[in-house]
Amino acid sequence: MSIWMILAYIFLIVFGAWLLYKTFRTGDRRFIYLAVGFYVVFPILITLDLPTSISPEAEQLYDAVDTLPDSSVVMLTFDYYPSTLAETEPMSRAALHHLFRKDCRVVTMTTIPLGGPSIAERVTREVADEYDKVYGIDYVNLGYKANYVAVLKGMGTSIKKIYPTDNSGTPVSEIPMMEDIRNYDDIDFIFVVADNAIVDIWMAIVNAQYDIQVGTGVTAVMAPKFFAYIGSGQMTGMLGGMKGAAEYEALEKQAGTASKGMGAQSLVHLFIIVSVMVGNIIFFFERKPGDKK
Amino acid sequence: MTWIEFVQIWIIAFFTISLFSFLYKDNPFYRIAEHIFAGLSAGYYVGLVWHAVILQQMINPMTEGGKWWLVIPGILGVLMFSRFTKKYHWVSRLPLAFVMGNTAGIFILSELHGKVIPQLRSTMLSLNPAQGLEGFLLALIITIGVISTLIYFYFSKEHKGTLGAIAKTGIWFIMISFGAHFGYTVMARISLLIGRILFLIDDWGGSIIWLFS
Repeated sequence: MSIWMILAYIFLIVFGAWLLYKTFRTGDRRFIYLAVGFYVVFPILITLDLPTSISPEAEQLYDAVDTLPDSSVVMLTFDYYPSTLAETEPMSRAALHHLFRKDCRVVTMTTIPLGGPSIAERVTREVADEYDKVYGIDYVNLGYKANYVAVLKGMGTSIKKIYPTDNSGTPVSEIPMMEDIRNYDDIDFIFVVADNAIVDIWMAIVNAQYDIQVGTGVTAVMAPKFFAYIGSGQMTGMLGGMKGAAEYEALEKQAGTASKGMGAQSLVHLFIIVSVMVGNIIFFFERKPGDKK
Repeated sequence: MTWIEFVQIWIIAFFTISLFSFLYKDNPFYRIAEHIFAGLSAGYYVGLVWHAVILQQMINPMTEGGKWWLVIPGILGVLMFSRFTKKYHWVSRLPLAFVMGNTAGIFILSELHGKVIPQLRSTMLSLNPAQGLEGFLLALIITIGVISTLIYFYFSKEHKGTLGAIAKTGIWFIMISFGAHFGYTVMARISLLIGRILFLIDDWGGSIIWLFS
């Protein structure tokens, strides 16, 4: 470790401690905001690289995709709003790298109207170009269709009936890749990337009723809820939040924005843990004997 | 980078910084950004519903595909607006009844089949020590956790004595669950902040360098 890094760490600790002291002295929460901002910006600027361990759920998902036969058909969903792009887009990118590297045929779709279709279009095309994949032969973007319950259920019978055209208006019947993809029977794996309760619908309708493997990438807020699906063996792996995305990037050896943000993530978490501990210690010391518990 | 991309990045950066400015105190820039976001979202949704629902799923199939029966769900949709009149607000219950019946029909089966039964099955674990210490301990924790948490939500008897002790154990399990949710929520919120900061440093910063290069 260079002398500059040691100095940077000392600066991080001293400045954070000073901001914490100012917060408790003045009661002004803006010092906390400043500290959080500082702990996010600083590690990104100095490219602080902290190790990220791989969770069993991320490994399970990666292995499930990795063991698919080459040129399998995988449905990748972009069920998220632009507001959660920081967590979800790196998952989609890492998944696409993995799928295209394996020469899988990718069907993308979304149940989110606000931004979903354009995010799917942009991200898929950018990654596909890196692997010289051709639209209509290696991947298709079905886009958005209203009423997600009807969409998910209807695709079990016929994808063409639910999506007569793709995202840009081309009839699905004219797309070569979709010739032999009629319904869920022709799809080998579903990779759901979502920031909302649609995951429950994918599990309850598609996984349970059509017996198709579903792996997910979800925002950190949702992740604790879905561990129950992992425990019951219904869900085939899960990525939880930015850490999950960083794990998949590490497994695929495609460092992206999630990996870049993990240093900041770890530092802010440390700062919050210290703040909670210091706040509690001060509370106990300042408590008078007559105070209620 | 093109000039169009440059302008796009600066508009995004302006709104990002305007929204963050609220952390210092309320100000006109924050208000402008907030109102524009609300207005844009509403406008986008109206356009989207018109294009993706009314045109694509009703008018086009009727005029081009001859599916004239689609006029029935169309009428049901229009009936929803009767809620705005005092005299005929009861009419909106007709489409609502259809939606409720339809939703219940789909979800009762899927919830039972996809959630309730598999989740119940996954909590009915063997407590046989022969399966190994790790498996036995995990099964024991899940069994105690499920039973004590369910008893905490049993309100027909006062939580005293043995029942009270079990309910208190249930509270501990609930608290641990809340802790996990809180931790993950903090991670999610910080991730969003990291996303914005990465944009400001990489994209906006990059655009400034491009401008002067």
